Amino acid sequence: MLVMDTCIGCGLCVPYCPMNAIEVKDRKAVIDLDECVECGVCLKAKVCPKDALKNDETYTEARLLRKTFSDPWVTHKSTNVLGRGTEEMKTNDVTNRFGKGVCGIAVELGRPGTGTRFYDVEKVAKACAASNVEFEPYNPVTSLMTNVKTGEMNKEFINEKALSAIVEFICPNDKVVQVLKDIKKVSAELDTVFSLDICCMAEDDGSFPMYAMIKEAGFTSSLNGKTNIGMGRMQLKF
Amino acid sequence: MTHTLHRRGTKESLRTDYIVFGITAQQFNGKDSAQVLKKFFDIVSPLHPTNMGDMRQGGMLTVADLPAGVQDNSIVHAVFNDLETLEEAVRRLKTADLGISIVVSSLCDDVAELAKRNNVKLHTQEVSLGIHGNLKKLPAEEFLHVTTQCGHGLIAANLVKSMVEKVKNGKITPRKASEEICKQCSCGVGNINRTEALLKDMAGIA
Ligand code: SF4
Ligand code: SF4
Repeated sequence: MLVMDTCIGCGLCVPYCPMNAIEVKDRKAVIDLDECVECGVCLKAKVCPKDALKNDETYTEARLLRKTFSDPWVTHKSTNVLGRGTEEMKTNDVTNRFGKGVCGIAVELGRPGTGTRFYDVEKVAKACAASNVEFEPYNPVTSLMTNVKTGEMNKEFINEKALSAIVEFICPNDKVVQVLKDIKKVSAELDTVFSLDICCMAEDDGSFPMYAMIKEAGFTSSLNGKTNIGMGRMQLKF
Repeated sequence: MTHTLHRRGTKESLRTDYIVFGITAQQFNGKDSAQVLKKFFDIVSPLHPTNMGDMRQGGMLTVADLPAGVQDNSIVHAVFNDLETLEEAVRRLKTADLGISIVVSSLCDDVAELAKRNNVKLHTQEVSLGIHGNLKKLPAEEFLHVTTQCGHGLIAANLVKSMVEKVKNGKITPRKASEEICKQCSCGVGNINRTEALLKDMAGIA
């Protein structure tokens, strides 16, 4: 994000930045580009009285990468889904991506509100890869891996920052407890935070087997959650 | 994207936070699905959600005609403040039988009860296992109750702080402050009524 000379240093844009990357110095807004993740919130908030905030149209590949992971209105080339995520369990009643016997796990680094460097993303990816998990192929983080078996990431972008990035994978039920424990262990090595989640398909009796695994791994699940209520099918009603 | 997961709050406050959304699978039934996803808005609008939106376009605070702009890869949302209205939305979507995937974000107990009452079979469930890592970086929990309503992280904790101060000083009404905050969420899943109540609490006004 760039600040034009028309800036009068009013500071109205400052609180809108989720990364706290804007400050007013000598009556001009200054953006710390190492902290700015190109999310575009300051611009889209439309609070600048002088139209002084502008997207840098000459983005380098690294800046564009930040934007892809941080601005939900940018579609990543590896997905047809806006933002840094995938359809995951939202369409599971149609795709059967997470069938019986497996769980889906997502570690969203930088969420809530802290942002993440990719070296932290790599630490988590490597910890999960140790259990031979299958990383979600249609996820922008997976597309940045140079080795999907080890979770190693492209070193060119390792110090770049994003609003958040999701390490997302499928895990056979018999490995879930170990992977969750590994994730807990690696959490102590991170500069940032992450939000962790897990999903699974209902058994025939309507129960969700993940709850026993969550307990065994020493985690507590939230009272609220997201439930696909099974109304999707291959043929839509036009 | 787990954009409506990880919402934080007390159980009482989460009892005013129910989201239903529709999506199609791009590799399976996404083709020409815009015309079907549009019908989602026709079904939920008469129930007066506190917010509605489309991941492709924004929320109802910023987009005048949401149905007109729906695309095949849109994700369409409606946010309600009580279980009864959410349940009515689910009933109407079940009757319409559009074939799009329908997802409910709510207290898990509530969706289980809703399913029993309406003969709906829950397919897949996802829950949060909390926030981990360098927790020193987080703002105070009360701010997270607002900021986590935008799963994409577009609501800055500093914006919430600044709005609380403005509400305290009578510079903005809690309603207007809530709308300004929820406008930042590009999917329209911010709960405008709930945020208004949270701001009042934080500002110490009845
Ligand atoms: S683009 Fe985002 S991170 Fe960068 S200055 Fe603007 S609001 Fe802050
Ligand atoms: S709102 Fe505009 S004029 Fe005011 S400090 Fe920000 S960039 Fe400068």
